[in-house]
Amino acid sequence: MSAGAPRLPAATTVESGGWREFVRRTQAIVWKDLLIEVRTKQSFTAMAFFAALVLFIFSFAMGADVRLLQATGGGLVWIGIAFTGILSLSRTYQSEELAGGLEGLRILPGEQRAIYIGKLLGNLTLLLTLELFLFPIAGILFQLELWRVAAPLAGVALLGTLGFSIIGTFYAALAVHVRARELMLPLLLFPALVPVLLGAVNATTLILTGDLDGALSSWLRLLVAFDVIFFVVCTWIFPLVLEE
Amino acid sequence: MTSPDVAVSLRGISRRFGWHWALRDVDLEVASGASLLLAGPNGAGKTTLLRVLAGVLSPTRGEGTLAGIGLEDNDGIRRRSALLTIGGYLYDELTALENLRFVSLMCGSGSDPAAYGAILERVGLAGVADRRVGAFSSGMRKRLALGQLLLRPVRVVLMDEPFASLDDEGRALVDELVEEMKAAGQTVFLASHQIGESLRLIDRVAFIDRGRLAFTCSADELPERRHAYFGGHG
Repeated sequence: MSAGAPRLPAATTVESGGWREFVRRTQAIVWKDLLIEVRTKQSFTAMAFFAALVLFIFSFAMGADVRLLQATGGGLVWIGIAFTGILSLSRTYQSEELAGGLEGLRILPGEQRAIYIGKLLGNLTLLLTLELFLFPIAGILFQLELWRVAAPLAGVALLGTLGFSIIGTFYAALAVHVRARELMLPLLLFPALVPVLLGAVNATTLILTGDLDGALSSWLRLLVAFDVIFFVVCTWIFPLVLEE
Repeated sequence: MTSPDVAVSLRGISRRFGWHWALRDVDLEVASGASLLLAGPNGAGKTTLLRVLAGVLSPTRGEGTLAGIGLEDNDGIRRRSALLTIGGYLYDELTALENLRFVSLMCGSGSDPAAYGAILERVGLAGVADRRVGAFSSGMRKRLALGQLLLRPVRVVLMDEPFASLDDEGRALVDELVEEMKAAGQTVFLASHQIGESLRLIDRVAFIDRGRLAFTCSADELPERRHAYFGGHG
C-alpha cells in the first residue's frame, strides 16, 4: 500500500436522516442491549431468582388463607416486580460504563432521545419477559385463577411496567455519575413511582377480586395518563441529562 | 463567516472543570485538509481540546467553528468530526463486526456487512471479525477503534494517542490511514506523546502547556521552538 493512495472516500458531511435515522438509532440500542443480555444473562438471572424468592417468602408468610391471598396477591406481585425492576434499571447503562462511559454514545451524531427510547424498550422487554414467569408463579403460590382474567391483567401489567420503565430508565441516566448508585436509585425512584404503583396494584387487585364499584377504569386512566405525561417529559429532557 | 478553506477556527476557547481551567483562551486556526499535532506535557489540555472539537464538551468561554459549524451546535459538530479516544468505546460482549455495526447504525447508516468486512480487513482484524472484543488485546482494540473512524468520511478526524498500544505494524497502519485521510481531504488532529512518530505525518504543531496554546510551528521548527519555550531546559 503506497502512502497517500486515495482509498478513503472524500471527506463529506452526512446530514440528519430524520425519522429513519431516529428509528435506526433506537433499533441499534435495543439490539445491542438485548444481545449483551442474552449473552451474559446478568440482569435476567438475578431478577428471576430475586423475584421468585420474594414471592416464595410472601406465600409462606401469608399462610393458606385463600381470601387473604387473593386480596393481597396483586400487591405482592407488584412488590416483586418493583424490587426486581430496580435490579434491572440500575444496570441500564452498565454496558456503556464498561465500554468507557456514556461519552461513547454522545460522540456519535444523531438525536439523543433515540438513546432514551432504545434503553426504555430494552428495559420494558426485559421486565415483561420476567413477568411472563412471575405472574404464573404468583398464580400457583397465591391460588389466583389468572387464566380467567389474563387479557385485562396483561393490559395492566403492560401499562404498569411501561410507567415503571419510563421513570426508571430516566432516573438510571441521572444516577450514572452518582457514587452510591445502588442506594441512590431506589431513593430517587420510588417516590416518583408512587402513582404508577398505586394504579397498578389497585387495578390488579380489582381484576383479581372483582370490580364491584366500577373503579377499575379510574385506575386504568391514571396509569395511561401517567405513562403519557412522563413519557413526553422524560423523552423531552433526556438530552439535558446525557450532556456533560 | 468562516472561510471554507478553514477546517477549525477557535477564538478564546476556555474550559473549566470545577475550579480548574483545563483550557485557557486558546486561539487556533487550521486549514482544511491539513494535519496538526497537539503536543504538550501530561495534563496540558490536549484531550480536553479534542473533546471540545468532537462536540462532547462545550467550552466554558470563547467561540469557534468546525467545518463552518459553530461549536455550540453539538450535533452539527459530531456529524463533521470523529474522535478516537485512548481506550476506544468498545463493547466486550459484542464481536468486532457487531461493534462496527452498532456504531454504523447509531450514526444513522444502514447495516452493510460487506463494508464492515472491508474495514476489518483494512485494520488487520478480518480473521477475528466474529470474535468477541473482550478477548482482544489492547492493540487489537486500538485497531478496531481505528476501524470505527473509517465508517464515516467526516471533515475532521481527532486522534488521541493513536500509536498507544500498537506494535510496529499497527503504527505503520496509523501512518497509512493518516496519509489516506489527508488525501481524502480530511483534516487530522493528532494528540500524542510520541512526537517523533507523529512529526512525519503532520504539517503543523500546536504546543499546549497548562491549558494555554504556547506556540504553533512547523514540524521542522519544533525542537528549536520547544527549547526556546522551556528556556533551554526543554
